Amino acid sequence: MSERDFHPLVKQLLDGELTIADLPAELRAEGEEALRLLTGVDRSPVELPAVTQRVMQTLASRPAPAVPAWKRVMRPREIRLRIRPWVLAPALAVAAALILLIWPATPARPAPLVTVRFVLVAPDAREVSLAGTFNQWDAHATPLVRSGSTGVWTATLTLPAGQHQYAFVVDGARWVPDPGAPAVDDGFGRRNSVLTL
Amino acid sequence: MRPGSEPKDGDIVRAVLAGERERYAVLVDRYRDRYARYAARMLGSADAAEDAVQDAFVRAFDQLAQCKEPDNFVGWFFLILRNRCFAERRRSRAEAPLEAADSVAAADRTDGGAETAERRRALQLALMELTPDQREVFVLKHVEGLSYGQIAERLSTSIPSLKMRMHRAYDRLREQLRDHT
Amino acid sequence: MLTLLALPLTLLGLQQGMAQRLAGRVSPTVAALVEQLGTTGAARGLPIDPLIQKAIEGSAKSIPDDRVAAAVRLVATQLDTAATALREGGPVSDTLAIAAGAFAINAGLSGSDITALARVGASPQALTVGLRVAGTLAALGVPRAENIGLVSTTLRSGQPAESLLLLPAHVQSAMANGSTPAAAAAGLSRAAAAQARHGPPPGRGQPPPHPAPPPHP
Repeated sequence: MSERDFHPLVKQLLDGELTIADLPAELRAEGEEALRLLTGVDRSPVELPAVTQRVMQTLASRPAPAVPAWKRVMRPREIRLRIRPWVLAPALAVAAALILLIWPATPARPAPLVTVRFVLVAPDAREVSLAGTFNQWDAHATPLVRSGSTGVWTATLTLPAGQHQYAFVVDGARWVPDPGAPAVDDGFGRRNSVLTL
Repeated sequence: MRPGSEPKDGDIVRAVLAGERERYAVLVDRYRDRYARYAARMLGSADAAEDAVQDAFVRAFDQLAQCKEPDNFVGWFFLILRNRCFAERRRSRAEAPLEAADSVAAADRTDGGAETAERRRALQLALMELTPDQREVFVLKHVEGLSYGQIAERLSTSIPSLKMRMHRAYDRLREQLRDHT
Repeated sequence: MLTLLALPLTLLGLQQGMAQRLAGRVSPTVAALVEQLGTTGAARGLPIDPLIQKAIEGSAKSIPDDRVAAAVRLVATQLDTAATALREGGPVSDTLAIAAGAFAINAGLSGSDITALARVGASPQALTVGLRVAGTLAALGVPRAENIGLVSTTLRSGQPAESLLLLPAHVQSAMANGSTPAAAAAGLSRAAAAQARHGPPPGRGQPPPHPAPPPHP
């Protein structure tokens, strides 16, 4: 395939990192072929004036976008957080032998696991998930489960002892700290909840 | 809102979510052309772009509550449009020349010169033979004029992987243009 | 020296480890900043995990790069402050303790508070838990004096780590009953001091009973 491929220097020419004068003489013809290729690039602007009317016509008969009920979530009267930590059998030490180098490594010690139940009362939410340091802040990794019609959302996790920060994500859009837990500044203008196990 | 000042995207989004759906037209007017060219080069014609942009705005409305940063509506909208462009089924070869003919007509009006129009037609056809990922990096750099760094930020990927994609695109384009001229 | 020979290999391993954790999760700009701060920090004995966590958090929350970078830099500064404060209190260089100290600073405590806790002379593990708890108490609104007083008394009493870990729940429970955070902490301090004087209650080695959950409305 290599005779049909552009020379790497010609690719750099195409990327704009070289000029034709930078190419060795034997590559000039290939370089000019490459630049001719680029003359076929169509940069003319495209205008779509009809889109606005068509979109608004389609939306006329559409249901309103569902608004997350985060305001309900925030009313303290309805929010209950119950954390019931109990210490399970300590897990075996996970760390293998660590080589101590010129900076101190974390000493290997057994990490007890603690089971924690997270509860949020949010009757109007369509989905609630948990995001935090224990799951890379992934808003999709840990959904809470709604129990029946009472609007109580629950998740039970087994976490290693240590310091964790987290927040609830309501309807995929609103990051809501746990109203019943201690909160700290997240550095982005919001608050994270703190769980110290 | 100060009289005479343009409302911010975030304000409009919040107003629409509060029930004023007519305000959404302001966002559509504001951004319908912003990525129209990207969509046209990705999909092969202005008509296809119009469909895609229209669908993307409707979808964005449906999911407006999930826009995490209302003040950056346009960035979020781009991702919805992008998904729509990637999801477009591959047109059959029989349809493709017709699409390219539309873009040829447009080129004639703006630029003149049968030779330029012919080169544009040939390149657009060749672009349609690339994978969507390859086509996209080519369009973002050579049509939209973004740097590799800017593309990497927008697509959350690395410059080396973009260059690899682009360099494969260059070779495939060369192959296509040789075989069909 | 073996350690010096091992350094370049481990630096590479460190950078690869960071790159792996950040790949696909943060933008290239942020990743580069984290790797730079992490490498220079690690050479000074600072942990890198808090930097990585903050970068991933910012990305997950769709925060623009410049604000994520600012937050990561702030974490780096807090780690530096914590490390300095710990050194003032004794030869502590445990990376978990430094991370805990940075958390406490972010929660509102000062370097001198960190030093005061370090001066108690507890083991690195106990001090780490103490710093985490102090930060959590600060997040609950316990004023600094009552906070450090409670944690250092508990550390000095030699009780197991569980006692420290239950302090925030005790404070929250008392607050639910109408106490201010300061009064709640002061009450717990008195109990801890009493325990230190009279020894642990019968059934030592058992953690204290779990607090009742906050009352339901």
